[in-house]
Amino acid sequence: MPRSVDLTAVVPYADHLDDGLVQLSFTLPVPYSLAARKAALELAGKMGFEDPEVVHYQQLTDGYTYFVMYGRCVQSIDFTELQGDGFDIEYMSEEEIERFAEEQVGRAIVVVGASTGSDTHSVGIDAMLNLKGYHGHHGLEGYRSFRTYNLGSQVPNSVLVAKAIEVGADAILVSQTVTQQNLHVHNLTELVEMVEAEGRRGEMILACGGPRVSNELAKELGYDAGFSKGTYPHHLATFIVRELASRVAAG
Amino acid sequence: MLLSDLTVSVSRLALVGLAKNTGKTEALAALLRELEAAGRVVGVTSVGRDGEERDVIDVRIEKPRVRLPAASLVATTGELLRASALQHDVLERTSVRTPLGTVVIARMRQGGAIEVAGPSAAADVRAVSDAMLEHGAEQVLIDGAIDRRAASSPSVADGLVMSTGAVLSEDIGEVIAQTADAVDLVRLAAVEHGPLLAAAEAIVKDGVSALLDEHGRPVQLAPRFVLTADAEEIGQLLDDNPAAGWVVAEGALPDSFLRGLLQAARRRDREVVVVVADSTRVFLADRGPAWYASQGVHIQTVESIDLRALTVNPVAPRSHRFDSTELRDRVAEALAGVPVFDVLAADYRDMLSAAAP
Repeated sequence: MPRSVDLTAVVPYADHLDDGLVQLSFTLPVPYSLAARKAALELAGKMGFEDPEVVHYQQLTDGYTYFVMYGRCVQSIDFTELQGDGFDIEYMSEEEIERFAEEQVGRAIVVVGASTGSDTHSVGIDAMLNLKGYHGHHGLEGYRSFRTYNLGSQVPNSVLVAKAIEVGADAILVSQTVTQQNLHVHNLTELVEMVEAEGRRGEMILACGGPRVSNELAKELGYDAGFSKGTYPHHLATFIVRELASRVAAG
Repeated sequence: MLLSDLTVSVSRLALVGLAKNTGKTEALAALLRELEAAGRVVGVTSVGRDGEERDVIDVRIEKPRVRLPAASLVATTGELLRASALQHDVLERTSVRTPLGTVVIARMRQGGAIEVAGPSAAADVRAVSDAMLEHGAEQVLIDGAIDRRAASSPSVADGLVMSTGAVLSEDIGEVIAQTADAVDLVRLAAVEHGPLLAAAEAIVKDGVSALLDEHGRPVQLAPRFVLTADAEEIGQLLDDNPAAGWVVAEGALPDSFLRGLLQAARRRDREVVVVVADSTRVFLADRGPAWYASQGVHIQTVESIDLRALTVNPVAPRSHRFDSTELRDRVAEALAGVPVFDVLAADYRDMLSAAAP
């Protein structure tokens, strides 16, 4: 009889439930040696892993050693705590989204996207918006219920906002590689502030995406949602149709 | 004089930083301590997130906690209220959804540390601030996030405390220069001439940008002209309206428009005044309002922002630090008429204990 998962104390799973086993790999800038192996074991111990074990190590190049290790994680997470407000989004499939949009919104949903400011990467925006999409999930362009405008990369915020107003956008999607540099963050906050300055904040859903964008960061930046690695177009579409439907319902 | 003495008469007080880690939350924490000691009931909201343990971008940076006394009002998400484990009464559930949950308004039954994440949109910030005042708050503190300024608009708040700090640059002169530009922007002059002010007010209200001649007669601009026009298009507009000396922008005024206008006006040897609703509508890049004015492009506002004080953080986390007194003196020298504080400096804390009953 299989054991059931205790959602109040979730730990990593490897061979069996609750073993807490984690595989980790890293490189140390030290020569390949027994001392290097010892250093890796101690480091894993300091990371809080119990029974750390080096299962593989090799010289990467002179003075660098690569490790694969196992260790037992003794921390757990109460998953039930995370299912409240803001975390309980269940994603809809493309067909469900189309049906939901038809019933609850009843018109084409307009989305304008761009990589703003100095960011030259448009990969994220292309994956979300373009028909081609990625990993076999086509972008919003392929949805009956969406009309999309992809402005590409290095788009000034003023141009993006002007386009969004021109086409009556329901949502603006921007992508930006956020780093510790204030500049990248400034591009993202400036867009929000410009939409405010134009008096359009209440009519537009603002979503931002990028490799380091979390919901916490999105909140600080002033966006309605943040999307990071692992987001597929239907995740974004689910958020937009649900949010729009709530706004339509609220009048 | 304490920070709270200078701001106590402002019912909706916005706190805005020039960047992350300029000490905005420390200023909020200082105000909360002082107001608690004075027995004032406050309401608190944040356009971002406050009181979190670690910085959202750099987890190595520890952030100050926000401690609310019992009987305070707060606008934050239900989730964060529960996570605080403090006793409270929910007074209102708003329809404002944030990435961290739906915002509620609560009265704390128990004092303690809490994460505050209220509405982000300016109109919603105003709504929850008014609600907290109605529920008995004597003053509402609106904390900003990163470098966002929208909550300091006169349509949201009645007064402002700005925060600046070493994080802006390793060069103290550059910190002063950037701070001076930001303060110049906040303190942009309001339009003085009566008929022009009335005309500008009407344009902002109607939401259609326009050119004005000296009698205040409007010539409407094409939609989104201010957001997208280049120097050539602006030049054409100036040529078509030889008597026009005023541009009223109903919404955002981006740096690209100011640059284009500057080029076009210079070529025609004309001076132009650009009027905006308030300074939160202006988006400058590397030059401040004083530089534009020196080049013949003046920016004025319909409504002014009441800047009460500036706080400085002499420490750039994980980088460098300046001497607090030197930074304060140099900022004060560059910015006449703005009181400057470092709420963590020893002399400020001494003043605080002297003021305590």
